[in-house]
Amino acid sequence: MKPRVAFFDFAGCEGCQLQIANMEDEILKLIEIVDIVSFREISDVHSDDYDIAFVEGSISRPMDEERLKDIREHADILVALGSCACLGGINKMRNRFNEDELIESVYGDKELVSNPFFNIHRAKSVDEVVKVDYYIPGCPIDRDEFERFVISISSGKKPELPNYPVCVECKKRENPCLFDEGKLCLGPITLAGCNAICPSRGSPCIGCRGILEKPATECIKEIFQRYNIDYNELKDKWNMFNFGDKIWRKE
Amino acid sequence: MEKRIEVHHLTRVEGHGNIIVEIDSDGDIKRVEWQIPEAPRFFEAIVRDQNYEYLPFITSRICGICSIGHTIASIKAVESALSIEVTEQTIELRKLALHAENMQSHSLHVGFLVLPDLFGKKDVIEVAKENKELVKKMLKIHKLANRLSDITAGRTTHPVSLAVGGFYSFPSVRELEKVKKEIEDCKKLLEEVSFEIEKRIEAFPDFSRETEYISLSQEEEYAFYDGSLMSSDAGYLNGDYIDYIKEYVVDISTAKHSRHARESYMVGALARFNINSKFLSDFARHISSIFDLKNPCFNPFMNSIAQLVEIAHNMEESMDIIDDFLSKGIKEERISKVKPREGRGVGMVEVPRGLLIHDYVMDSKGRCKRANLVIPTNQNHANIQKDMEKLVSEVKDRPKDEIENLLKMLVRAYDPCISCSTHSLEVKVKWKG
Amino acid sequence: MDGEICRLEKDDFLAFVDNLINGFETIGVKEKRGRFVFSHLESAAELRLDHDVTILPPKKNFLPPYEKMIKFNVGEQKGELLGDNTKRVIIGVHPYDIVALKQMDMVYMEGRPDELYKQRRENTIIIGSDILRVNDFSFASSLGTHVVEDGFDLMLTDLGKKVIIEIGSERGREILMDYARNIKEASDQDIKDVENHRKALPDRYKVKLDIEKDQIPFLLMDVFEHPLWEEESKKCLQCGSCTLVCPTCYCYDIRDEISLTLEDGERIRTWDSCLLPDFTKIASGEIFRKDKSERYRHRFYRKGLYIPMRYNFIACVGCGRCIMACIPKIADPAKVFNTLSRRKHESKGKLVYKMIEGVEADSRILPEPAVIRRIEPLTENEKLFEIELLSRDSFHFEPGQFVEVSVFGVGEAPISISSPPSGDNRFELVIRKVGNLTNRMHSMKEGEKLGIRGPLGKGFRVEDLEGKDLLFVAGGIGIVPLRSLIKHVLSKDNRPRFGKIYILYGARTPKDMLFMDEMEKWKEVDDVEIRLSVDTCPEGMKWNHSVGVVTTLFNEIEIQNPKETVSLVVGPPVMYKFVIKCLEDAGIKDTNIFVSLERRMKCGLGRCGHCQINGIYVCREGPVFRYSDIKNLPEVFQ
Repeated sequence: MKPRVAFFDFAGCEGCQLQIANMEDEILKLIEIVDIVSFREISDVHSDDYDIAFVEGSISRPMDEERLKDIREHADILVALGSCACLGGINKMRNRFNEDELIESVYGDKELVSNPFFNIHRAKSVDEVVKVDYYIPGCPIDRDEFERFVISISSGKKPELPNYPVCVECKKRENPCLFDEGKLCLGPITLAGCNAICPSRGSPCIGCRGILEKPATECIKEIFQRYNIDYNELKDKWNMFNFGDKIWRKE
Repeated sequence: MEKRIEVHHLTRVEGHGNIIVEIDSDGDIKRVEWQIPEAPRFFEAIVRDQNYEYLPFITSRICGICSIGHTIASIKAVESALSIEVTEQTIELRKLALHAENMQSHSLHVGFLVLPDLFGKKDVIEVAKENKELVKKMLKIHKLANRLSDITAGRTTHPVSLAVGGFYSFPSVRELEKVKKEIEDCKKLLEEVSFEIEKRIEAFPDFSRETEYISLSQEEEYAFYDGSLMSSDAGYLNGDYIDYIKEYVVDISTAKHSRHARESYMVGALARFNINSKFLSDFARHISSIFDLKNPCFNPFMNSIAQLVEIAHNMEESMDIIDDFLSKGIKEERISKVKPREGRGVGMVEVPRGLLIHDYVMDSKGRCKRANLVIPTNQNHANIQKDMEKLVSEVKDRPKDEIENLLKMLVRAYDPCISCSTHSLEVKVKWKG
Repeated sequence: MDGEICRLEKDDFLAFVDNLINGFETIGVKEKRGRFVFSHLESAAELRLDHDVTILPPKKNFLPPYEKMIKFNVGEQKGELLGDNTKRVIIGVHPYDIVALKQMDMVYMEGRPDELYKQRRENTIIIGSDILRVNDFSFASSLGTHVVEDGFDLMLTDLGKKVIIEIGSERGREILMDYARNIKEASDQDIKDVENHRKALPDRYKVKLDIEKDQIPFLLMDVFEHPLWEEESKKCLQCGSCTLVCPTCYCYDIRDEISLTLEDGERIRTWDSCLLPDFTKIASGEIFRKDKSERYRHRFYRKGLYIPMRYNFIACVGCGRCIMACIPKIADPAKVFNTLSRRKHESKGKLVYKMIEGVEADSRILPEPAVIRRIEPLTENEKLFEIELLSRDSFHFEPGQFVEVSVFGVGEAPISISSPPSGDNRFELVIRKVGNLTNRMHSMKEGEKLGIRGPLGKGFRVEDLEGKDLLFVAGGIGIVPLRSLIKHVLSKDNRPRFGKIYILYGARTPKDMLFMDEMEKWKEVDDVEIRLSVDTCPEGMKWNHSVGVVTTLFNEIEIQNPKETVSLVVGPPVMYKFVIKCLEDAGIKDTNIFVSLERRMKCGLGRCGHCQINGIYVCREGPVFRYSDIKNLPEVFQ
């Protein structure tokens, strides 16, 4: 029997789900191996009877946590789709502000705090609320990675994230190293799987797939000295997607 | 007869929106609400203190569909604040990227989100079961648009090559030649698709409400990348946009509403069509004639048709730009070093859903002190509300299901991008420590 | 210079290249964002013979970063070998890269050549070119690789207005004659100019090795435990860049990729790196060379000791690529060897290393078709499969050898053969479900097809055991490969050739014990003593034998003739240390102890590099090892 699949979104830009809609004619092949029972963005069809739930976006309100917990109960397998769901991503950049400070806002004389729409807490990744079975990181996700994931699950294999950094893919594509152009690229410490798309286009990696491992202090010192890079640049780039400091490699 | 319509998390739109209608047993309309429960994301706070170089990468994440638009608006705002000039080639490449995005977004909207309504089906996959060829053609156009985005911007969602001051990498002549041929082939497909859709146009009601339309406009071409604010009511709105576009908060919506001359206004393909149709290319005119779409058109349902017309225009314009590149060649221009300075910059761009404004105040170190973002869909929410009120008053005696369906189609026609519009709340931020 | 030498004026040379471009797929050195790469040439004007070094070496044309090996159909489990027989010309290969290619040839074409590599190699014409610009980090002159005498079809020396061409092969001569015009014979002056150019090169190198290259292996044997490994590897990002850009690195991983239809797919190989943490990971999740410093050190030992002892060349050509690619700049072999040489006295331990005899390099990429004839569940996690090979009548193997079991769409896994050699085309495998492939096998049924590559590896040399007393020690699943030898030895025909037989077998709990019924039959054979034990016996389980770890069983037997006793030990890594102590205490010589080791074996042929224990390949020098051969290898019992 084909696995039943559902897509859900929380606080995010829906770019990850768009990548699935962007599968073009491959979508017709996809629906041969899975049954899409809920995909609000492109279909009216909905059922609460699903095996695999793909969740995009971070969690930012109690009402969202409730909805997520409900999804977790219905699903056998829950997959965090995209960096907002896997790590918190860009949304976590607002966590440096206290949520009360954020809500201290000007709305004329309207009392909004009691309105559940506006009841915000700090941005959380999906696994800060429920158990996540698999992760498909990236901002946005890579279409091929999503396909490979579905193929693995449908053919009884356990999907696995690579355990090496973007440099491996970048070197295989024979890209000139951006460090040599004086740019700080987070490739050496970022989880691979995107086929080094940004460095291949001359744009340094911004770590959207999450940090693999914190580099040793000796290493950072060496690099800053050698390439004339300063700490602020690392902080700026690191904090875009990795403000939560979630590290993939558990030692 | 009492009727209660509650649509929770409307399908086939980007983001979360609710429609609530209550009509009492006397036939009086008690409540008509377009609610936005989408979680706000506070981008206007997020960008504070960020380095100018990363602002486009951060604001691109406001939206997955019009990332190229956000990136370009952000880049333009930074370049305006820091007085950075860019080359002709950069501008032409950016225009090409915007054309690609417009085509991509419109073909997605019409092909995936609106088409099922024209055929009375739940989604495009069901449509494909009976009309495989039509769906395949739309997919092909969508695929072409993605291809063009890939080679100009590096990626449709969250572009990679666009930068403050220029581009990180460039398409090759070979790639451009190849895509030009694909565009040529897709023109034919677009025409065929238009004829097919025209046969089903009765699905859209003959609804009309006089509306103010706002978009960018200029004297040389149908404005996307560059232009000044223009209102269908008041002509050019010269000066600072902030004097004209008033944003305000309503408690049923985590997204702000906007107004100008009237209680609401509309932006988007129909607005642009109504204001700039005289600049449309020949092929675009041909497509609009298939639907007999004329300026001014006050029927919001025709926004989807205006989108088809724009796709045609994007196709021809893209081919012209590509021809230019093929004859001049593409230079691997390096981005010059930037000197940060204090200042305010405003970047205005027409993205698929309408007018987009990024407004930054930068400090002397090149970091963002303050930002204001005016999103197309924010500007449409009030108009959606008003259109809904009028539509309900016209059809309140019809069966509940029919009213519900018409309201859903109305919202979908606007092609709302709700995640974008809930990018922020107005905030006064107290810094920690 | 041995070959015939000609001269072309520059214009004629460029015309020659343009003609080649029209006739062949021509690859040459081009500029890319300020660096150089080997890439498809559109015109001679793009060719940059004045390059210093390319980002990736020309090996990428023969062992591509990502190569489709087999196209398969999942349902039918049928596969066909893919290949690439496009005729190519590569222009601009520097001498050090030619030396590296010659080294790769020895690895990939010795024994039974790798079919895909061989095809690409034979269809590619190598046009080398002398170094014009010396790379800042290169130390090729210290290794003598700044010039080369053979290994090319043509060798160019671009002297500005003229290009001198040395013909290195018949093929080279042919394409020169066919595609070039105005070929002149090189004058004495031309030949002198080339000689002078080459003679002047060594002085232009900024980096030099302070020791003779032949001394590198000896240096490394002295400094195995040296503080430098920890010092430098602290900065290592484990990004793999150093190995990926190296012309003499050639480790690869193998994966199956299926299309969205789930019906067909490809088996691909892609470059892998021993610096990456998962390089040695086996299905149970275990990793060897766990510490970053061990992996960092391993690369230098492979280049400077292990490969030189195996093939007789230093596996580094001093090109400088790894030094440029390494961001924290710790990959420099010259710097490392020079520093180690200078600080040799700080070494805290040596490595005694020698080559071990192994089987010939092999190269079957395509598995042969086979079918599951019988399945017998043994325990909760283990099943016995009887496999029949469909395309042959007989399958000869030695006990202790293994096969790579292939299921198209899932992958391959190395499994020891568990039945004794029978001469027919059937054999038995005992499979524990641990990873993707073994899990798939557990859900397969009798009659289903799969693929087999084998027999692979070095097994128990039965001739070495003749006339001896045999002491088998099996820990857990170690009984599986031992069963093949045990049943072989206990068979009616073979029994008389061997002396007394002891079998000690320990498992975790009674329900993990395998082959209890068979062992009853073994006990009945002449002069066979069997002792069993379990680590623990849970409440309620029936168990009539000992409780305790397998080493306790030594107390239950008396080894009558230790000098004439050979011991065969297979079990989990943690068991070996203790068992070997027992054996030594009993007086058994370590030349008479054989073990079987497990590592990650992908190709099974000694090429992909995953099964390395120091420089030994478990799939070629093992999996069965004589203990005396490996007891000094630091990485054996990790």
